[in-house]
Amino acid sequence: MSELAVQPRHNVRFLVAGFVPYLLAVVAAFLAAGIFIAAMGFNVPEAYSSILFTSFRTPTAFIQTLLKFVPLMLMALGFAVPLKANKFNIGLEGQLILGAIGATAAGILLADLPAFLLLPMAILAGILFGALWAALPAWLLYRFNINEILTTVLMNFVAFSLMDYIATEVWGDPGAGHPTTIPIAPGAYMPLLVSSPPLNAGILIALLTAVVVYIYTNRTVSGYELGATGSNPRASMVYGINTRTMFLLSLIIGGALAGLAGAIEVTGVQHRLIEGMQSNYLQLGIIIGLIAKGNIRAIPLVAFFIAVLEVGASAMQRTMMIPVEIVFIVEALILIFILLADVIRRR
Amino acid sequence: MTSSTILRMKGIRKIFGTVVALDDVEFGLNSHEIHGLLGGNGAGKTTLMNILYGLYKPDAGETYLRDEKVDIKSPGDAINHGIGMVHQHFLQIDSYTVVENIVLGTPVRNRYALKLDEEEARIIELAERYGLKVEPRARITDLPMGARQRVEILKALYRGVDILILDEPTTNLTPQEVESLFQCLRGMAQEGLSVVLITHKLREVLRVCDRISVLRDGRSVFTIPREEATEEALVRGMVGEEVEVKTSLFFRTGEVGRDTVKVGERPILRVEKLQVIGPQGRPLVTDCSFEIREREIFGIAGVAGNGQQELAESLLGIRPIAGGNLWFDEASLAGARTRDLVEKGITYIPEDRLRDGFLPKANVAENLILGYHRQEPYSRRRFLNWKAIFGTARLLIGEYHIMPPNPAAMAADLSGGNIQRLMLARGFSRPAKLLVAHNPTRGLDIRSTEFVYSKLLEQREQGMASLLISDDLDELLLLCDRIATIYRGQIVGTLERGEFDKYELGRMMSGVMTRE
Repeated sequence: MSELAVQPRHNVRFLVAGFVPYLLAVVAAFLAAGIFIAAMGFNVPEAYSSILFTSFRTPTAFIQTLLKFVPLMLMALGFAVPLKANKFNIGLEGQLILGAIGATAAGILLADLPAFLLLPMAILAGILFGALWAALPAWLLYRFNINEILTTVLMNFVAFSLMDYIATEVWGDPGAGHPTTIPIAPGAYMPLLVSSPPLNAGILIALLTAVVVYIYTNRTVSGYELGATGSNPRASMVYGINTRTMFLLSLIIGGALAGLAGAIEVTGVQHRLIEGMQSNYLQLGIIIGLIAKGNIRAIPLVAFFIAVLEVGASAMQRTMMIPVEIVFIVEALILIFILLADVIRRR
Repeated sequence: MTSSTILRMKGIRKIFGTVVALDDVEFGLNSHEIHGLLGGNGAGKTTLMNILYGLYKPDAGETYLRDEKVDIKSPGDAINHGIGMVHQHFLQIDSYTVVENIVLGTPVRNRYALKLDEEEARIIELAERYGLKVEPRARITDLPMGARQRVEILKALYRGVDILILDEPTTNLTPQEVESLFQCLRGMAQEGLSVVLITHKLREVLRVCDRISVLRDGRSVFTIPREEATEEALVRGMVGEEVEVKTSLFFRTGEVGRDTVKVGERPILRVEKLQVIGPQGRPLVTDCSFEIREREIFGIAGVAGNGQQELAESLLGIRPIAGGNLWFDEASLAGARTRDLVEKGITYIPEDRLRDGFLPKANVAENLILGYHRQEPYSRRRFLNWKAIFGTARLLIGEYHIMPPNPAAMAADLSGGNIQRLMLARGFSRPAKLLVAHNPTRGLDIRSTEFVYSKLLEQREQGMASLLISDDLDELLLLCDRIATIYRGQIVGTLERGEFDKYELGRMMSGVMTRE
C-alpha cells in the first residue's frame, strides 16, 4: 500500500535502499544466464549488447519497443490491482483475448459509424468484454468462494477456443492461411503519432490509464479499502469494509485493464483479430507485476525494461541464432533473485 | 530440599536487527525449584528461554548445565540435554489422540503396526506420578485448554526432561485450571524437576515460585527468594522508576473517580433478548438483555469462550443477529452495517488485535485510520487526504509513544508492544459515544495497562459509555460501575458497584445462578 508515504528527507536513502537490490538482482540474473549462453557456445558480450541496446539503435526498434511496452504495462496493471487485494488474476490472457474480440466485433459490426464514435466504441467494447470475462470468476469467488486462480486460468482456455471460432467461422478471412478475421473498418483504427515507422496513440491511453490506476489505488477511499482487504481481510471486515465486494471489484478492474490491452492491439497494431496475438503477455505481465511487487509507480518502468529485453532478444535470435527463450530465462532469474533478496533482507 | 545450581546462563546478549533484546543477562536455576521469570512485555523473558531451548542463537554469552559448558543448537539438542519447553501456543495435531501427539517424533517400539500400548502405559504412569490428568485416547480437538496444556507438559516429561520451561502457562486457563496446574508444578518440583515459569503476572509468581528473577528491557534486574519478595518490590523491578506505585491505578483496590462523576441517566446502548446462532445452529448468545447508560463502564465477566466475542461482534454488526433488538442512542440498530455503526460513534477494540485489527502490509498511518477512513478529515468525496491522515498519525504516535515515530513505517516491522499501542491509539483516537473493548489490556505491560485504565476513566468522565469485556476480574472490579456475568452465552447476573464480590462473580462465571 504505502508507496507514497515517504518523508522527504528519507527519500534518497529510500530510493537507494530500494534500488540496489534490484540492480544486483538484474546483474546476477544476467551473469547466471551468461553461463548458459557461453555453454551453448555463443559470444556472451555480443548477445547481451544485442539484448540491451537493440531498442536504442534504430527508430524502428525503439518504436517496436514502445508497441510491446503498451500491452505489457496494461497486463501488469491488470495483475497488480487484484494483487493489492491479495487476489491472483491469472486470467489476463483470456481477458486480453476477449478485449480483442470486443474491439474487433465493434470494428466490424458498427463499421458505418463515423470514426470519432467508432474508435471509442471499439475501445469501450474491449474494456467491457475484458471486464465481463473477469466478472464470471469474480462472481464465483463472491458468491461461492471459489478460488480465483483456478477459475481465471480455466477461463483462458475458453477464450482460446472462442477466439479460434470467431477467427475461422464467424468473421474468418479465408485468404489468410491462419485463423484471422477480416480487418476492422478504418474508422476504428487508432490514429498514428508517428507515421513511419508507425506508432499509434495507444501508448497515450496506456500511460493515462497508469496514472488513473495510481490515483485510484493510492488516493481514493476505495483504493485504501482494496489495500486493507489485501493486507488483512478479517480486520478489514471487522472495521466495516465489505471485503467480498473489494475482491469482486479488484478482479473486474484487472479484467478491464487486460481488455483495454486487447483493444489497443486490435485498433492500433493488428487491425484484426489474429489467433496467437496474445503472445506471452500473460507470463510477462505476471513477472512484471511481481518484480514491481505490485507497486503501481514501478510498473511502467519495469514494463519498459522488459519490453527492451524482449525486442533485443528477437534481434539477437535473428542475427546470432541464439534462441529467444534465453531472455525468458533472464526475466525469470531476475524475479527469482529479487524474491531471494527479500528473503535475505528479512533475515 | 537441596539447592544445588543445575543451570547457569551468563552474559547472554541477543540482537534482532537494531533492537537489543537481551543485554548481559544472568540466569541461574536450582534443582527442585520453581523459578519465576517475571517481566513486562518485551522484557526479553521468552527470548532468553528460547535461547536456552535452542530456538535462537545468542550473540554472546555462555550456558552451563551442571557446571559443564553446553552449546544448544536446536530444540532437539535441548531435549537431549533434558530441557523441555511448553510454548504459549501449543504445537499439537488436533485430529490425533493424546498418546499419538505425545509420542510423535520419538522412537516407537512397534513402529509398523503402530500399536502404542507400551507407550500408553508409560504415559499413564507419568500422568499419575505428576497428577496430570488426561484421557490418553481422547482426540486433541475434544479437549479443553487446560487438558491440552497437560498434554504439552507430558510431551516434555515423556522425553525425559528434568528442566521444564512454561511460557505464560495461565493465559487461557480458568481459575480452577490455574489452581490445578500450580499443584502439578509443586508435585514436579518435589519429584526432582526444575521448573521455569515465564509470566507477567506477579500474583502468580508470589503464589507458586520458590525464587523470582525479574527482567526489564532485556536486562537482569534481580533474583530473590519468595520470602523476600513483596508486590511492590517486584513492580519496581518490572517497571523501573517510571510508574509511581502509590498513585498507580493498576495497584489500586478501592474506588476510582466515583465520587466526582456519577453515572448518567440516559441509556446509550440497550440490548434486548439478543440472540446469536453459530454455524451449526449452535446458540452462541441467548436472550441477552442489558442497558448501558452514559458515563457508565459496564463490565462483562466470564471464562473465555462463553460468547463474549460473539456478543461484541453482534453489537458491531460484524456478526448477524438471530433474534432480539438493539438500540443505540434511542435508534434501533437491527440490521445496521458495521461502517454505519462506526460512523454513528461506536468504537471497538477487539480481543485478538493482530487478527481482527491489524494491517501488516500497510503503514502506521494507514493502520490508524482503519474504520474511520471514510470520515472527514481523512477523506472527502471518496478521495483520501494524506496530509490530514499523516498529521493525525504524528499526533497519535507522540501521544501513545509508538516506535519508530514515523507514520510511514511499515506496520509489520513494529514490535508486539508497539502494535498493541497502535491498536489502542486507534480505539481511543476518535470521539465516540460507546466503546466496546474486549480484553483491552491483554498482552500489555504495566505501563500501557495503566494508560488504558486512565483513558477509560477519562472518557467515562466525558460522557462515554463503555462495554468492558474482560477475563481479568481485578480489572473489572477496579473500573466498572456494574458487572454482568456471562456463562454459555447467557447473562447470569448483574452486580452493582458497592456489592461487588469476587467469589460471587466466580460462582456465576461457573454457571451457578444466584441472581436475576
